[in-house]
Amino acid sequence: MGYLQAITILSGCNLLAVLGMAVLTGYTGLFSIGHAGFMALGAYMGGILGKEMGWNLVPCLLGAGLFSGIISLGIGYPAFRSRLRGDYFAIATLGFAEALRLLLNNIHSIGKWRLGGAYGYMDLPELKHMTFLPDWAVVVIVCLIALWVTHMFITSQYGMNCIAIRQDEAAAEMMGVDLLRTKLLALFVSAFLAAVGGALLAFYFGYINPSFFGIQRSSDLLASVVFGGIQSLIGPAITAILIVAVPQLLLTFALYRFIVYGLLFVVVMVFRPQGLFGYVQMNSRWITRFFRHKPPEAMEQP
Amino acid sequence: MDWELFFQQLVSGISIGAIYSLLAVGYALVYSVYNFTNWAFDGFMVFGSFIGFSAILSWALPLWLAVTLSIVATVILSVTVETTSYRPLRLRKAPRLFMMISAMGVNLAIVNTLNLVYGGLFRRFPFEDLQPYFVGGISIGRMDLIAMVISALILVLLWVFLYRTKLGLGILASSVDILTASLMGINNNAVAITVFTITGVLSSMAGLFYGMKYAVYPTMGLVTIKAMIASIIGGLGSLPAAVLGSMILGVLETFVAGYISSTYRDMFSFAFLIVMLLFLPNGIMGKSLEEKL
Repeated sequence: MGYLQAITILSGCNLLAVLGMAVLTGYTGLFSIGHAGFMALGAYMGGILGKEMGWNLVPCLLGAGLFSGIISLGIGYPAFRSRLRGDYFAIATLGFAEALRLLLNNIHSIGKWRLGGAYGYMDLPELKHMTFLPDWAVVVIVCLIALWVTHMFITSQYGMNCIAIRQDEAAAEMMGVDLLRTKLLALFVSAFLAAVGGALLAFYFGYINPSFFGIQRSSDLLASVVFGGIQSLIGPAITAILIVAVPQLLLTFALYRFIVYGLLFVVVMVFRPQGLFGYVQMNSRWITRFFRHKPPEAMEQP
Repeated sequence: MDWELFFQQLVSGISIGAIYSLLAVGYALVYSVYNFTNWAFDGFMVFGSFIGFSAILSWALPLWLAVTLSIVATVILSVTVETTSYRPLRLRKAPRLFMMISAMGVNLAIVNTLNLVYGGLFRRFPFEDLQPYFVGGISIGRMDLIAMVISALILVLLWVFLYRTKLGLGILASSVDILTASLMGINNNAVAITVFTITGVLSSMAGLFYGMKYAVYPTMGLVTIKAMIASIIGGLGSLPAAVLGSMILGVLETFVAGYISSTYRDMFSFAFLIVMLLFLPNGIMGKSLEEKL
């Protein structure tokens, strides 16, 4: 049971970051290869707030998210402002994640806070001691809230603007969508969610290390969005869980994991570019349909 | 000021800049014709390096044969990737995002296959006995000198090919407007295969030089981020700008490593990219690359 709980928690943390990636890549069409960097920011900020400041869980998560979101604007603004192609942003995020990892590897302490450099940041408050709920339940609740919030975001006017930008930037601008503000908003939301995921991960382990947030984790996040599908929340959410759970359950697969991901990237792009669940929206229509006595075709007749 | 140290750093910076420029020119070439960043370049470079390494150490081939083998194998890989992973997308006029994801996938697969086959260890080419040259108190590593000279030679050959042959001019025409070029009778597939052959040669040479200068390991391809940064500093999509940007980045980076600390070298490159994006987003030599309607 402990094993299942661990998988639930790890995939929950991944899911939070993937929801952010879905907003950024799946809906806005921006391509981030360094999203693990935002998770790292959240993990360290959450750790500092929880351990050094002694804050409670919820303010810790919100503080970590806000911090990471604000930093993300500092990377997004120069890349989006010049209205250059998306490659610049991708390179900037990749460089940011690598630079941050190097920086965290070399910072041993900030004042009294002992971040530990490459040894890792130790003795963080643990999730199971921070609330009266069991730790896996906390993660599930946070994931459900995040799923609801992102769903509200993408169905709002802001989300519509994001979709318009992904489909045709020039046309969206002609229709009066503020490109810079919408892109920055999407980036902020995704960095916020990634940081919350990172902070939860830090509190689950009670320990974090810069190598948790390497390029492999960024690849995991990207893979979830690519396989899960463009313009869908539920697809990436399902693949985010699978991507953590499958290598844990089939340990021999873990060795070949990234080779398989890589080949699947190409196969998906060539044969099914919308992803497995592309354009599938999260809604409850199938539930209501399930409880109806009449078939849905009959219901729709006037 | 210690001028000896200064010139030492300068020489070292130019030699690393030469390796960056091979990679940056490869990016710029693909970008100028197909308008997407070839993220698989990283994988090509590591592949070329490992093939050369195996040829020398495991199969005991002479150096020239190992280099040839590495180039041929990388070119085959590069052209195969083009025909299987990029061309179907291009024919379907898929968005650039899809091309980038496909390229990322190729990269992940190549790098992790090499990681599985060779393991993550750092390996060195067996060139311990090379003595550096001494010119007026400055030592110039033989490897550095060879890298500089051969890189310069390759770049000159590339320039001659692009500006003095029919196929090269076809590539230049395609980089202006690929559709019009094909209407004018330029064979699009020949252009694609030539472009990816050139990038194969460039990436395998860069991989060999980088591997010989430092070490061979599966994640060595991260150095290609530097080449991307260099081509942005110069101006994305232009070949001379890529070379200029690489030299500037290589020299500045070596000075940072030498005078401040080598741990901050990579952070400096990234900070430099952000500053460039803020103040000179088109690069030093770049024309306006803003997306047009």
